[in-house]
Amino acid sequence: MSEPVPTTSAIINFSERLEDDSSKFYEKLTQKFAQNKELFAGFAQEGKKNKTLIVRTYQETITDALEACFAFKGFKLDDYAPQTTISESISYLDALKMAVQLEEKACKFYLDAAECGKSLLATIPRAFQKVADTRNKRKLKLKSLLDSAK
Amino acid sequence: MGNRESRLPILDEPIKEPLKVRNYIGGEWVESKGEIVDIVNPATCKVMGKVPISTKEEIEAAVKAAQEAFPDWRRTPPLARARCMFRLKELMEEQFEELSRIQTMEHGKTIDESRGETRRGIENVEVAAGVPSLMMGYNLEDIASGIDEYLIRQPLGVFGIIGPFNFPFMVPLWFIPYALATGNCIIVKPSSEDPISQVKIAEMAEEAGIPAGVYNLVNGGRTVVTGMLENREIKGICFVGSTPVGHGVIYKKCGETGKRVIAQCGAKNFLLVMPDADLPATIATCMTSFYGNAGQRCLAGANLLVVGEGLSQSEHNAFYKKVVDAFVDTASKIRVGYGLDESVQMGPLRDKSKKDTVTKFIEKGAEEGAKLRLDGRKVKLVGDWPHACFLNPTVFEDATPDMTIGKEEIFGPVAAIMRAKNFDEAIEIIHANPFGNAASIFTQNGKLAREFQYRVECGNIGINVGIVAPMAFFPFSGMKDSFFGILHGQGQEAIRFFTESKVVIQRWF
Repeated sequence: MSEPVPTTSAIINFSERLEDDSSKFYEKLTQKFAQNKELFAGFAQEGKKNKTLIVRTYQETITDALEACFAFKGFKLDDYAPQTTISESISYLDALKMAVQLEEKACKFYLDAAECGKSLLATIPRAFQKVADTRNKRKLKLKSLLDSAK
Repeated sequence: MGNRESRLPILDEPIKEPLKVRNYIGGEWVESKGEIVDIVNPATCKVMGKVPISTKEEIEAAVKAAQEAFPDWRRTPPLARARCMFRLKELMEEQFEELSRIQTMEHGKTIDESRGETRRGIENVEVAAGVPSLMMGYNLEDIASGIDEYLIRQPLGVFGIIGPFNFPFMVPLWFIPYALATGNCIIVKPSSEDPISQVKIAEMAEEAGIPAGVYNLVNGGRTVVTGMLENREIKGICFVGSTPVGHGVIYKKCGETGKRVIAQCGAKNFLLVMPDADLPATIATCMTSFYGNAGQRCLAGANLLVVGEGLSQSEHNAFYKKVVDAFVDTASKIRVGYGLDESVQMGPLRDKSKKDTVTKFIEKGAEEGAKLRLDGRKVKLVGDWPHACFLNPTVFEDATPDMTIGKEEIFGPVAAIMRAKNFDEAIEIIHANPFGNAASIFTQNGKLAREFQYRVECGNIGINVGIVAPMAFFPFSGMKDSFFGILHGQGQEAIRFFTESKVVIQRWF
């Protein structure tokens, strides 16, 4: 059997779940740690905006006339599935490490999707790129927090 | 069954139990006295609904309801009618996903294709919402000294809209919002094969505040169509379907009864690949063109002409081989299955009889000497679905324009690849075909592309575009045996179709 190749719909669906799971993850961090509460809350809120941007761009751009039969060849969604479940006993340092990994995976997902989806109408890869940029900024911020917490 | 590929989970189906479709006449959802037939999901073969084949009395009742609603509706200010369009659009946006999934269930197209169709439908509602500007007339002071002249556009009354099976949501929307926004009343007859999308639109029209009788939905077949055509109170018909019906029945009968008509019909679309084309991009675009919507679209690519402009015979042969090999390789990788599986790129044909028709074309192509490079009759599916309506992509090479597969509309996922010595011969081949819906050229030569656009007798021309689907603010054109009428659906032309131009000359003593 050959690997299932995701269509645009599958990619959008995955990014919706990714943003939902990320938001939930940061909401939990907000409840768990007093440090950087506002930052985590901001990330959770940003996830909702990212999701809206991606879904709206897709739904307002997709046209069966130009993109029917399109698939993200060689794209394996499992490779981008992040770990977002946190244990009750997790330390602040480990939570930050998890967050950095989450942002790295998310950023890579959006960059790869933008590259693979280049032949879709340009607004879709552009939206992926935009979200990749925001996730990359988060990653840098989290890394600096991690460095200072060590 | 068997011979299948791994898949992603199936998206949730919005219709769980078979839906009983009713007519919507004079603002009431009413049972039909006609025969009831099944609506079958072509991928799963499960019955998803029951639709009535309405009677002559029922279409007459709808015409009467529409006639009675007309005087008030035409007096409703265009701005108020536009607000109905805004509300309709909002409802469509809210139900975007459900509407799209229903299309996949009732028609078979993939979920990405359905969402594209939903979007294209909504865009027509958006354009029609501009009716206060679109419907404006014009004037000139002092056509003679002290005398002014102006033109106003007025609605005509009741229109009939007959939808096809291949775009159950979008195609009727090439007409519905323009007819309503300009102050007319309508009767919509969707395809009885996939009528649920239009039921949803009627429900939303009701919720959007479109008054009783303005929007009517009558399900059925020939009786309903005949009832529309013979009724002299119906001022015009919009039809999208086959050329034999569009020309032989709709256009002819509209002429006899003095109706306006838009009859958008069959097609046999040629795509030219020039030696300087960007081949990877061209082949990717061709997949959408030939196999999108399982080839069931009047804008689908049918014949791929590999043109040897400026090449020697051996160079042309090498170029031809390169194009054919790339085409076959890419087409063979298209994943076929149920459109609610997000790894599927092509869905089934709408029903088994359509599959049988396409299968006969494939047999005919082989009999007449075209070389079958990819045989879609060998069904390989993503998922465990009945094979009843499925075909995989098919590719013929060394086809010729006089073969059955080269000249007749197949309406399925079949590509016929042929050669043309040069650009002029390619144009001759296109012109020898009776259809004139769409044609495309793939090239990096602007001069040649312009020449193509200038000379080709087709209504929709693509330059490095495989499916030339006009946006809502442009007319959906067509020529020769692909279109009968004068004005087309969508945009400003639709506004003109649904209105009469009245000229006033005024002088004050």
